[in-house]
Amino acid sequence: MELFIARLFDGISNGATYALIALALVLIYKATTLINFAQGEMAMFGAFIVLVLATERGVPIWLAVVIGMAISALIGAGIERTLIRPFDPADHLPLVIITLGLFLVFGATAGIIWRFDPRPFPRMFPTGNALSFGVATLTWYTVCVVLTVLIVVGLLTLLLNKTKIGLAFRAVSSNLESSELSGIRVGPTLQFGWALAAAVGTLAASIYVANPLFQLEPSVMARVLIYSASAAALGGLDSLGGAIIGGIAIGMVQSIIVQYVPFIPNELSLATAVAVLVLVLVFKPSGLFGTPQVERV
Amino acid sequence: MARFHFVEGTTSYRTYKWSMWALWIIVLLLIAFAVADTAQISIFDNSYNLGLPRINKSISFMIAILGLQVVVGYTGQLALGQSFFFGSGAYMAAYLVQDQHWPWAATLLVVVPFCFGIGVLLGLPALRIRGLYLALVTLGMAAVFPSIVLLDGLDEYTGGASGKTVDSTLAAPTWLPFNGVANFLQSIPFFGQYFGEGDLSSRETERIWKYMLFVGLTLICVWLIANLVKSRPGRAMRAIRDNETSAAVSGVNLAWQKTISFGVASALGGVGGIVYVAELGIASPGDFTQLLAIFFIVGLVVGGVGTLPGAVVGGLVITFIPEWASSTSNLPGVPERWLQGPTGTFILGVLLIILTFFLPGGVVASARHFKARFVRVVPAAPPGYTVAAPDDSDDEPEMVDALESGEAIGDSGLVDRP
Repeated sequence: MELFIARLFDGISNGATYALIALALVLIYKATTLINFAQGEMAMFGAFIVLVLATERGVPIWLAVVIGMAISALIGAGIERTLIRPFDPADHLPLVIITLGLFLVFGATAGIIWRFDPRPFPRMFPTGNALSFGVATLTWYTVCVVLTVLIVVGLLTLLLNKTKIGLAFRAVSSNLESSELSGIRVGPTLQFGWALAAAVGTLAASIYVANPLFQLEPSVMARVLIYSASAAALGGLDSLGGAIIGGIAIGMVQSIIVQYVPFIPNELSLATAVAVLVLVLVFKPSGLFGTPQVERV
Repeated sequence: MARFHFVEGTTSYRTYKWSMWALWIIVLLLIAFAVADTAQISIFDNSYNLGLPRINKSISFMIAILGLQVVVGYTGQLALGQSFFFGSGAYMAAYLVQDQHWPWAATLLVVVPFCFGIGVLLGLPALRIRGLYLALVTLGMAAVFPSIVLLDGLDEYTGGASGKTVDSTLAAPTWLPFNGVANFLQSIPFFGQYFGEGDLSSRETERIWKYMLFVGLTLICVWLIANLVKSRPGRAMRAIRDNETSAAVSGVNLAWQKTISFGVASALGGVGGIVYVAELGIASPGDFTQLLAIFFIVGLVVGGVGTLPGAVVGGLVITFIPEWASSTSNLPGVPERWLQGPTGTFILGVLLIILTFFLPGGVVASARHFKARFVRVVPAAPPGYTVAAPDDSDDEPEMVDALESGEAIGDSGLVDRP
């Protein structure tokens, strides 16, 4: 039982990070109906900016995170304007290729600038245990991560539901042509979605590597992207709440199945996530909370 | 300005076609002897390797990219996890040759059906998974492959983290007169100096033999695929790529065609894997990652999506750009820091983005445009009609390409677009 609770807590803290990256994926999907394969690398890049600000410039860590998020948002908006907008959103191949190109560019640039040695990330949350039941300990890190995710979701919901640009964003993601006809400036609105996603991604990567067990290196987000994308697909790619539930679910699957199903060793936790993804897509292609897609001929 | 016109089916056309092929074969053979000793060129104190081992490695990538051409280029399915099948082929060949002492050629008999089979199996869910989701799942599979290789239970077959080494080599048969050819080439005035000096060492002979085998294998694969895409299934694949719904309405069996193209692509990935391990003598889990899968996409796009020669260009690009980038340590005007890290990956990424913008057809489409200025091939006239004399004055080489790729219909206003 204690072991189970311990695995549960592990699952929650990993799942919360997956949920944040999944949120970023969902934001971009809602904006441009595109899975941004470079999201993980962009987030890693943002986390490096935060790290450099905090350790080399002496900026307080949370201020560094905010500045890092702002810089990432600018990068995200710039990418949308220069690389994504010129293409027809209905034709997937060029867009997928562009995001794969970005994946290579961001990964390589981080490797060139910051090298491949893992670096410890500044502490963002209090250390120590909040609660413990025997072996099962709930660290402050987990508590704070969950709280951060809830705050981010809350703020995003407010932003999308109570502000004018949020309204525009919802209109554009629901029907691009109609919203264009009703006078919404579609371009800047999509750019806003990309900026938001990049900022959320940077926050997610920062809190992921703020885990005392992890360090920051250029390849740190490659696997996280697969987990998060599975999470986003599980929740339905266009549902913000679905991304959170999907993220937690994938985190749980990762930690609990690997512990309790004897024939699935630890190395296969990534394979389990991919298997979940395949099962969801085969049996419920729109995910748990997504809008089913109807194709008109 | 078209200088040469050929009408399909005439003797002059056949002569042209065969002489082009003969020219290519001679060039391919000359390359082998020219770079058999690890040839290097030096620019700014950096020495760049052109040797045959690199070319042999690039051939393995070419075959894998050829598979991607079938599934992505012709069928339009975003199945991007080719490194999964490439790795499977490589490991299976390594196991069969090293532990079961099979000859290399015999591994084809197992790897091709096996990779075809897993391609079909993994393709079955893909019948319901489309577009972006398929890209996601297949990239996920590519990411999973190294962890499957590292499973404890498979250690004795895969060699675990240190990889699977193969001692067996492909020695050239002694009756082949490689030395005679080399000596003959060296004795040609002017050109002789490019072919080294004296007899070939046994390593060089082995390299040339491997190169010939691999080139032969690639030619067979290209020939098979060229026939596939020209035949009825190939037209069905292109119909699926252009519009899935209308293909289904026109009587194309979507499930069947997609499954076949997944299977063919995976089998080619497996063949590429065999060539890879036969050349390098080792298969290690770090070689077959998500990054390799993305490199294959780079090769696909650089060469040209939906063109078979594009696979050849792509294979060369993804082998030599990282290779040369890592051997460049000194370039005027570029800070040293930018030359030491993963510069090759950076260049490939930038190339991928730039080509998607400015050259969506890849290198091959541009080369075809260029060639169409000089050589034009027109279909034979139906019986009872005569072909008007070609008019050189208003040349529009674009039309030739457009008609060949079948894309002119949508653009010419014959079909209403939504």
